[in-house]
Amino acid sequence: MYGYRCKKCGKLHHPARLVCDKCEGREFTEEILDGEGTLLTYTRVHNLPAGIDKPVLDFGIVQMREGVCVSGQLDIDGEIYTGMKVRATEGVVRVMNGVEHTGFIFVKA
Amino acid sequence: MREVGIVGVGHTKFGKSDLPFLDLLGAAALEALDDAGIKTGEGHCVDQLFVSSMGASIQNRISGSASALVDSLNLRPAMAECVENGPASGGSAVKLGYMAIASGMCDCVLVVGGEKMGKGKEATDFVATMLHPEAEYPYGLTLTSFAAMFTRLIMDKYGVTSEDLARIAVKNHANACHNPVAQLQKPVSLEAITTGPDMEKINPPVAEPLRRYDVCPMSDGAAAVVLCAMDIADKFKRRPVRIAGIGQATDTHCVANRAVPTDLLAVRLASQKAYKMAGLTADDMDCAELHDAFQILELVESEEAGFFPRGQGHIGIRNGETEIGGRIPINTSGGLKAKGHPLGATGISQIIEVVKQLRGEAAGRQVEGAKAGLCVNFGGFGNNVVATVLTKD
Ligand SMILES: [Zn+2]
Repeated sequence: MYGYRCKKCGKLHHPARLVCDKCEGREFTEEILDGEGTLLTYTRVHNLPAGIDKPVLDFGIVQMREGVCVSGQLDIDGEIYTGMKVRATEGVVRVMNGVEHTGFIFVKA
Repeated sequence: MREVGIVGVGHTKFGKSDLPFLDLLGAAALEALDDAGIKTGEGHCVDQLFVSSMGASIQNRISGSASALVDSLNLRPAMAECVENGPASGGSAVKLGYMAIASGMCDCVLVVGGEKMGKGKEATDFVATMLHPEAEYPYGLTLTSFAAMFTRLIMDKYGVTSEDLARIAVKNHANACHNPVAQLQKPVSLEAITTGPDMEKINPPVAEPLRRYDVCPMSDGAAAVVLCAMDIADKFKRRPVRIAGIGQATDTHCVANRAVPTDLLAVRLASQKAYKMAGLTADDMDCAELHDAFQILELVESEEAGFFPRGQGHIGIRNGETEIGGRIPINTSGGLKAKGHPLGATGISQIIEVVKQLRGEAAGRQVEGAKAGLCVNFGGFGNNVVATVLTKD
């Protein structure tokens, strides 16, 4: 999984965007996001959409050490709490029309 | 710029419907035309039709609904277009109708919104298609997931409790009992959904900390309004309700990218813009229809729209200030929670409730002497919001 760093002002974005919202720059360099972060909020979802074949799944919003905030799935056994340290991994989050989509899956740091 | 008013309203009963999508829209449209006293066919006065729906092409496999409806209603050769702006499609379509008349291009515009949502996991997935196509939707994230994570932040920051959210649902169910077009016309007690012995059964967790009564139902339904230029309003059967102000604002597409994750900035900006255009303030509003797809949204929108200071809305709910008879009655219709939420109809349905309040036709739920009201129609998870201020002429 990547962050997209503005070549002009250095702000890190996720997901990719066309224009930097800090300096109007239009060029970005890809940077792997696999570090640690802090869980800002989370939920355990019981009414998952079609295409997710699980009874329940945990999701969270994480502030990465690099500064950018991202959404992702959580794969954490035991207690989940706001402020806990997590680590970003990349994994298959959904299969759509036979195509595997990868994304952030956060584990306990 | 010409002034614009509403001279006709039509509203199907929300809930499961066996009618095909276009017939559902047609039922609301005909009721609105009849209310305004507009005859269809040769010499009719409708210059333009707007149809709002988020999912007709996804859920019903129908595109070009406006072309179909304009012919079926015998309103040819009026101009016709579809409007898609997620759950804010209805508010957007009324805004476009306003612009068409204010510009001088049209005298009379029919705006019809509707949805056949389907049910279960497929419907949940369809609604989620408005999320970011890479950073949100593929994860299995849904609008309910984001509402749940937002609720946790609000609870931690402001001391809002699950009981506060339940109080909003209790109020909205009570209001819906007096609204003949509401989907869930049944009262619910605070005890039953918070501490009662069957609580886990009737109010199970959906996306923690949210439970069933914190979330609106899936609905089919349609709603329609007839807009006209105020300078020709005396041609119609009904006295017009004035569209005094419209505001719209957008925010980051991804929820995770919000500068202040507990704010609904687009609600604040859209409301402020609508008040400014109307030359009014939040204090001038006698009632409001706020987009409570999740009960937490009614709470935070009531703050962002200026009815309460930030972090104080739940105190107002505990004090009954948002009930009918309170300082600022909110969702007298029953709101999305109990009236139902067919996405493309919702923004128009909200406007119809305020029209009924200003006409004095909201039997059983009337806000006495109502002269002005606000509607907030919320798209995405707050990334596209339309606010409308209506006044009695
Ligand atoms: Zn930049």
